[in-house]
Amino acid sequence: MDIIRFIQYIASGTAYTLGVTFVALPSGLILGLILAIIYVYGGKIAARTLSVYSTIMRGIPPIVLLFILYFIMSGTINLSPFWAGSISLGVISSAYQMEIIRGAILSVSGGQMIAALAIGMSRLQAIRYIVLPQTLRLAIPPWSNEAAIVIKDSSLVYALGVPEILRRAQLISASTQQPFLAYTTAALIYFGLVLFTNTLLRRLENRLRIPANP
Amino acid sequence: MSDWLNLLIRFFDDFLVGAGVTLELTAIGLVMGFLLGLGLALGKVYGNKPLCWFSTAYIELFRGTPLLVQLFLIYYGLPSLGITLSQTLSAYLALGLNSAAYQAEYLRGAILAIGNTQMTAGRAIGLSRWQTILHIILPQALRLAIPSWSNEPILLLKSTAVVFLIAVQDLMAKAKRAATTTYNPIGSYLAVAVVYLVMVFALNALLKWLERKARIPGFEMEGKKGSL
Amino acid sequence: MKKVSVALMLMFLVASALVACASPEADSVLDKIQEAGTVVVGTSADYPPYEYVDESGNFAGFDIELMTEIAKRMDVELEWTDMPFDSLIAAVQEGKIDMSISCFNYSEERDEKVDFSDAYYTSEDAFLVAEDFAGTITNAEDVANFKIGVQSGTVQDEWVTTELIDAGLMEESNLSRYERVDQAAMDLQAGRIEVIVADSVPAQALMGQFGGFKIVFEDMLYTGPINIVLPEGDSELQERVNSIIAELQSEGFIDDLAVKYFSD
Repeated sequence: MDIIRFIQYIASGTAYTLGVTFVALPSGLILGLILAIIYVYGGKIAARTLSVYSTIMRGIPPIVLLFILYFIMSGTINLSPFWAGSISLGVISSAYQMEIIRGAILSVSGGQMIAALAIGMSRLQAIRYIVLPQTLRLAIPPWSNEAAIVIKDSSLVYALGVPEILRRAQLISASTQQPFLAYTTAALIYFGLVLFTNTLLRRLENRLRIPANP
Repeated sequence: MSDWLNLLIRFFDDFLVGAGVTLELTAIGLVMGFLLGLGLALGKVYGNKPLCWFSTAYIELFRGTPLLVQLFLIYYGLPSLGITLSQTLSAYLALGLNSAAYQAEYLRGAILAIGNTQMTAGRAIGLSRWQTILHIILPQALRLAIPSWSNEPILLLKSTAVVFLIAVQDLMAKAKRAATTTYNPIGSYLAVAVVYLVMVFALNALLKWLERKARIPGFEMEGKKGSL
Repeated sequence: MKKVSVALMLMFLVASALVACASPEADSVLDKIQEAGTVVVGTSADYPPYEYVDESGNFAGFDIELMTEIAKRMDVELEWTDMPFDSLIAAVQEGKIDMSISCFNYSEERDEKVDFSDAYYTSEDAFLVAEDFAGTITNAEDVANFKIGVQSGTVQDEWVTTELIDAGLMEESNLSRYERVDQAAMDLQAGRIEVIVADSVPAQALMGQFGGFKIVFEDMLYTGPINIVLPEGDSELQERVNSIIAELQSEGFIDDLAVKYFSD
């Protein structure tokens, strides 16, 4: 097998890697955002429950959680390894994203909420129009770190048999007996993806920066 | 429920052995990562151009690729270059090399926070560059680094869980074993999840204690508090 | 901290109780398959010539072709799911896949969780070693003196674990359990293990694929007849699959496949 087809075969796993990331990251963001809002504004019991949730989810290795969620999901709904794996990674990431967004919400001063309520906004309006627009901007730098982590963690679905970059590198390294070349290719593709995402998000951060609000 | 307890009892000894392997991997990876990471941090801050460039490239490459890929590259890839390491040694090496990149960034942050004036002062009283680093900067920087660095042991403990994929008999491998013999994967992985949580909590408590012990009063760096 | 740990334990106990109580649905899988017009079949595509991924990325092999024909005769579409071998049985049990064909041997422990079709072929075990292997293996148990590699969850894994490790003939640290059999072959090549215990036909295929290996022992240990794994207690599906296997046997279809894949 010539080198171009070799690299092509591994690179064709990129679609799966990106697919996993594009399912896991947004679903983790939406879930994380909702949970963070409940955490901050939802009262004591909600805050305590979510703090336990966050402690558990972030205290267990992602691959162990992936296996647990994957088998629970396969037992209840019939999902392909791709979907089950991606959604599981999203749930795992939601705990980390919740903490990122919660931190950003808390860094927007409480006085703004009071000010918004004083001018007649409802709590939800204040969250929607005053707090979140600032929060999400502030959350970009730590969030871009999380995005890189999710791209890298997408390699864990290898263990579920999804034909992503690493799985393809493994398949072809066995059939061509070029493991070094195969895994180096895989590593470089991942590196490219992470680098690209970081650059993209840094641009976004600069564009959305609020002047005079470091 | 009783099924699950039976599983836990049946495999308890196995899980303990696996947990021991996991802790060993974490400890060795952490020490290797610290020594190499310190070198990289110093190289990036004080090194000459090639050294600085090398450190930067190393840190970016290892932080920009999945640990699992690094592990496979070392375990399955190196033998085709004539370097065949055992399963345990490959795992140590992958964890150490990977952790070094992250530890280098924590340490570099602390070194930069000490600032250049102390270097100037050290040189002014007649110390050489490396003497200043060794006797003045590092003792402060290492203590200063502890709050942000204390994330790393826990992160590393969690990342060791992939080494079962190169047939190392860690806690996760024991879970897989329990899953294949009992055909109860959820129960098995839940059981080891609890074991991992216990280890993470214990480690976290230890690190918090260390943080308090090593604090320099009135001289703290803004850093992330522990990861939990 | 204490409160957190207590809460944690409680959560896990509740979760595991839920898991333990969840019961599989009662309606026939055969009906479900025919309604959907698709049969979802799991395999671990790493066991040539039974099942593997060919150079263009398609599933190929003896089991793959056999299953394709079975699906055709059931008049349904065939959808493959490639997963690690040791999660296939759990996947059938949980209804994630309708059945699994992956060179499965019958074993009592497996039979408690799932059903088996009639046998469609009979296999032997083999010990695969590097060409320069100098040890001697006269009885199967002699393999306990060497570093062994198996695929995790196979009957060979079970054989080594119960007959050698549990019997005190070898240390568990001398057994490496791999997710895939080709990873074991790469480690045999690298010299990290000395013997692979596997089904003999795939062992021969690995010999051809990697080169520099030889087989030093061939016999039936735990293996023997190989079957398709079916959901527990679904006799309709079992009868349907069995009758198709019987048809294919009497037509000589399976013999032809064996010649195509196993003759060299």
